Amino acid sequence: MNEFLQQFLIESRELADAATAGLLDLERQPQDAAQLDAVFRALHTLKGGAGIVEFAAMERAVHAAENVLAAARAGQQLLTAAQVRDCLGCVDQVLQWLDTIERSGELPSGACDAEADRIIARFTGTVPAGAMHVPEPAPLPAAAGALPAPARELLAAQLALVREDTAAGSYGHLASAALTAAGVLRHGGREAEARQLAGLAAQGVEGLSAALLPALEHLLTGAAPATTVAGDSPLATPGNAAAAQTLRVDATRIDMLVRLTGELIVARNALTHLARQATTQASPLAAALKAQQATFEPLIDQLQRAVLGLRVLPLRVVFQRFPRLLREIADGRGKPVSLLFEGEDTEADKAIVEMLFEPLLHVVRNAVDHGVEPAALRQQRGKPPVATIRMRARRQGDQVLVEVSDDGGGMDVQRIRAVAAARGVATAEELAAMSDAEATGLVFMPGFSTAAAVTALSGRGVGMDAVRTAVERIGGRVSIQSQPQLGTTIGFLLPFSVMLTTVMSVEAGGQMFGVPLDTVVETIRVPRASIAAVGAARALVVRDQTIPVFDLAQMLGATGKPRHADEATIVIAACAGQHCGLDVDALGERLDIILKPLDGLLAGTPGITGTSVLGDGRVLLVLDIAGLLQ
Amino acid sequence: MNQKVLIVDDSKLARMAFIKALDSLRPGWTRFEAADAATALEIVQRDAPDVAVLDFNMPHKDGLALAAEVRQLNPQIHLAVISANQQVEVVRRARATGAAFLPKPLTMKALGDFLDDVSGPGESA
Repeated sequence: MNEFLQQFLIESRELADAATAGLLDLERQPQDAAQLDAVFRALHTLKGGAGIVEFAAMERAVHAAENVLAAARAGQQLLTAAQVRDCLGCVDQVLQWLDTIERSGELPSGACDAEADRIIARFTGTVPAGAMHVPEPAPLPAAAGALPAPARELLAAQLALVREDTAAGSYGHLASAALTAAGVLRHGGREAEARQLAGLAAQGVEGLSAALLPALEHLLTGAAPATTVAGDSPLATPGNAAAAQTLRVDATRIDMLVRLTGELIVARNALTHLARQATTQASPLAAALKAQQATFEPLIDQLQRAVLGLRVLPLRVVFQRFPRLLREIADGRGKPVSLLFEGEDTEADKAIVEMLFEPLLHVVRNAVDHGVEPAALRQQRGKPPVATIRMRARRQGDQVLVEVSDDGGGMDVQRIRAVAAARGVATAEELAAMSDAEATGLVFMPGFSTAAAVTALSGRGVGMDAVRTAVERIGGRVSIQSQPQLGTTIGFLLPFSVMLTTVMSVEAGGQMFGVPLDTVVETIRVPRASIAAVGAARALVVRDQTIPVFDLAQMLGATGKPRHADEATIVIAACAGQHCGLDVDALGERLDIILKPLDGLLAGTPGITGTSVLGDGRVLLVLDIAGLLQ
Repeated sequence: MNQKVLIVDDSKLARMAFIKALDSLRPGWTRFEAADAATALEIVQRDAPDVAVLDFNMPHKDGLALAAEVRQLNPQIHLAVISANQQVEVVRRARATGAAFLPKPLTMKALGDFLDDVSGPGESA
């Protein structure tokens, strides 16, 4: 791919993201002139870029969207919900084209013209030149309740007048209707919209009749800012005057910096090792070495934090894809839902933020599908007809907590217990011993799905266990809290960065292994005779529970294993509620390591998640407990 | 004579395209890049470019407003405003500040004509 196309991809993605965020804001506040400017500029630059790389189809499609915004910008009319949706559709198409380019390394061929034509047709359909435009009703009629009833009546009266007078073409009547409506809005504290209407009144007769009708209709039927909330703080836009000064750096350069820092930490471990050896000798050099090492250590830590801090993204990047998706999902189910964000500026490692989309989407779908009650039932329970789903993010020390809550009916614990028993997820005895909270957690177990019917949204055989797997793959943990009638909260506790892993080092067959510390339950010594052969495998009974025992030395193919004859050291590790024992020769210390993914010969080795180089140069193989248990 | 050219555009892609065209038309010329108006004004003061080419569509300050400020700092400078939208109004206001108007995407022909006006034809290579 040539450098122009590369730069085109980088810039276009940023512009498309900015345009999407801005359009979602405009959907709620179509009169926000600054936002309109920002979106217009983003689309304009997007179009310019397409022109430079000679991608004619994209240039045409974006031009059509830009025209709609230009008309709105010139004050001819407020953007309608349908227009915003068409603009979003256009940006979506652009993103798909960008994906194609990214994959193939070149501009897409023929098919784009048809796609571009389809987009352009939508726009030319929604902006009849000079004709009056009647906007579609907004998707959430409940949103219109923001204005008090008397104000709405006054506005409706003006709308009726305007409808009559448009035919008669009486400018004076139209202008006075506009000013009355402006007064109503001003009284309601909606100054910006009031000004907009008053501005319309100052226009000539053609402009006024064309603009006033959709504006009034929008006020009465459109989504009002106070109730359709997808985040009280507006998403950051490129037009923000206070935007922080930023540098645009290629992500691969940051990755290089992260890698180098990783190497430096390995070198630090070696130095620590040397310094420790030196302390056994009484020489001034040893003391000096120790002192230097003491200043060196915290500096490296700070460096690592700073470098990892470069590679962060706000959770907003993934959250902002949801207002639109949620609406599609909610429309599909006929359940009105509003979405609230909290803490969307919380940052996490880029890799984590980017991998969160799929599991979050699944959880949000589940919330609408199974959590939110049908409207009739909500009414019966005295709940507001529009359900609320909250997406929250907040930093907790070295971790980031991301939660999705709904105000639906909560989990049916009895049903979960019944299903778990029926599907063999847990035995009757285990179930009897479980608290309700523990039983609720069973939904994350493989093979569990309470979907009563397979719908288009969820219940396609992918259950919450897929969510758990995805979250655990990025080093996170899932949790669930549910209260009958009040709703459910699914939490992902994620590492802030994906780099630093704390392991317990163990030795087996002359090889060092790292057991992720968060999986270590305990270490025990047992008589070797108590490890029983079960078919080809071995098992051990610990506290009345039979767990599989893995021989780490054998896993590597180390031959002949005359071990300590009568006693075995076992590390008990757990993942997703399942336990296993690791038969090891010796226990080592706790280490913070930089985990390197497997490559070369080791790639794909089951049960091993990555490697790290130790201070003395030995390679540590880090175990994948979840993988071992499969 | 080799001249100094400043290109101001918040899109790096657009700057890359401009520089590629400039390099083939006037290989020896020095070029400066700015992604925003503030940097552009700094460069105008510090490096005294002979030519400035400004994108019309930029955040905070449009190319025409910037052209007027650049003109104030350096009355001798050759100015051009680039825009994809050939609105009569933009073209007229560009001319009013003594700036040429160049359509976007920039063609070699349009840039060549503008550079000929700046330095006389036949200067290339």
